[in-house]
Amino acid sequence: MIKDNILIEGEKCTAASKILENYIAPYDATVISNLKQAGAVFLGKTNLDEFAMGATGENSAFGPALNPHDHTRAAGGSSSGSAAAVAADLAVYALGSDTGGSIRAPSAWCGVVGLKPTYGLVSRHGLIAMASSLDQIGPITKTVEDAAIVLNTIAGYDPMDSTSHNGELPDYTANLNKPVKGLKIAVPKEFFSKGLDGQVNNLTQAAIAKLESLGAHIDQVSLPMINFAIATYYIIVSSEVSANLARYDGIRYGRSANKAKSLLDAYLETRAEGLGAEVKRRIMLGTYALSAGYYDAYYLKAQKVRALIKRDFENIFEKYDVIVGPTMPYAAPKLGELGDSLSAYLADIYTAPVNLAGLPAISVPCGQVEVDGSKLPVGFQIIGKHFDEARILQVAHNFEKSRQ
Amino acid sequence: MGKLSKKEIERVASLARIKLDEEEKEKMASELGAVLDYIDKLKEVNTDGVEPIAHITGMENILRKDEPMKKPLEGQAADAAKLVKMAPDSKDNFVKVKAVFGE
Repeated sequence: MIKDNILIEGEKCTAASKILENYIAPYDATVISNLKQAGAVFLGKTNLDEFAMGATGENSAFGPALNPHDHTRAAGGSSSGSAAAVAADLAVYALGSDTGGSIRAPSAWCGVVGLKPTYGLVSRHGLIAMASSLDQIGPITKTVEDAAIVLNTIAGYDPMDSTSHNGELPDYTANLNKPVKGLKIAVPKEFFSKGLDGQVNNLTQAAIAKLESLGAHIDQVSLPMINFAIATYYIIVSSEVSANLARYDGIRYGRSANKAKSLLDAYLETRAEGLGAEVKRRIMLGTYALSAGYYDAYYLKAQKVRALIKRDFENIFEKYDVIVGPTMPYAAPKLGELGDSLSAYLADIYTAPVNLAGLPAISVPCGQVEVDGSKLPVGFQIIGKHFDEARILQVAHNFEKSRQ
Repeated sequence: MGKLSKKEIERVASLARIKLDEEEKEKMASELGAVLDYIDKLKEVNTDGVEPIAHITGMENILRKDEPMKKPLEGQAADAAKLVKMAPDSKDNFVKVKAVFGE
């Protein structure tokens, strides 16, 4: 199953937006050609938050994906349908995209494995762009080993994506069974601040204790700049969104307001009719942040704070192999529970900093909590150094095996 | 801040080429105001002398030779006629647009 913001030639690709409701992809994304060469069979496209903007899956123009563990709850976003499909056993694996947590969040809430690779490891050619300095495609699977197998097929340099990484890549399945004994694992204290649900905290602590019992060395560390990550993230994302989505003008492809008389009216009306509320909100925020007189105060400031967030992670990775913590601050909320957009933004608190620093991270199931009579899965997040996917897969695989 | 002015919302909506009705303008003014209030916390961070991020893993200047490509890369580029057909309005293999000037 493929998230419906990744192009498969001859198939509809809507990005869950009315503006692309009838858009037929004219070519294959590079990840799709790679999978086709490996003999993959595509079962379908999966729902998402419109243009991948959302933490719950509820921003789709075609209705939310439901959580297979409780149909009154959100699957998580933005790769909502991809995670729900794998959790509901409709597919062996799915592809998602992750800009601020969009693979890991739904994977955590649906109880499956989700891997967000290092920025640039997987080609984005044929991925409908949201925020280009953050977007990355990755697998959603039932097991860590499956994630490694899919990553082997989709990772690698692509001349069609000049930001893709040109270097030797390992076989990601090779080190899965290597013991974690002696590995140095950092636990940032900021990941356990007051927003974290008590039951999720307990399961996260149990997962850390499990890694310690397997022989890993655990230390508490600090990532002080994390508190500024969401503010930084939303300025950068909205700014890049406002530029990337300028292409939906009703002229070259997609929906067009055909009653408009002038070119300007056609732009205004096409976008008014075709784009959803959250997408408009982010385009407006980004346009404001990039407009004359505000650029230095917002976008430039955010890119500087981003440098400090990256430095925080680098300092930790000088001494440690991986960083671990919760994926999401709480289990899947009820549909509609998060309400306004700011509280939905704050759900990305543990995932978005990873994208800002361009790092790879995996969410792996670590147990279930009981909320109002429903048993809901919880995800454990393992973050690695740039291009060190093999290491986080190894830790995740060891952890997964220890739970069986 | 709390809330952006209606004039400011109209200025930004016009730059973003999005038509908003009165109700949307009102909602956008308070929602964006709330998000901007939250984002204001970035002012607390001292960024003197910090280089802004340009590329997160440190890539720079990815160039190719300035030569026409003999064939589409990896066979992945779609042909022009196919792309023109995707336009909502086209004529003789050209994309047709609305009048640029008003009456």
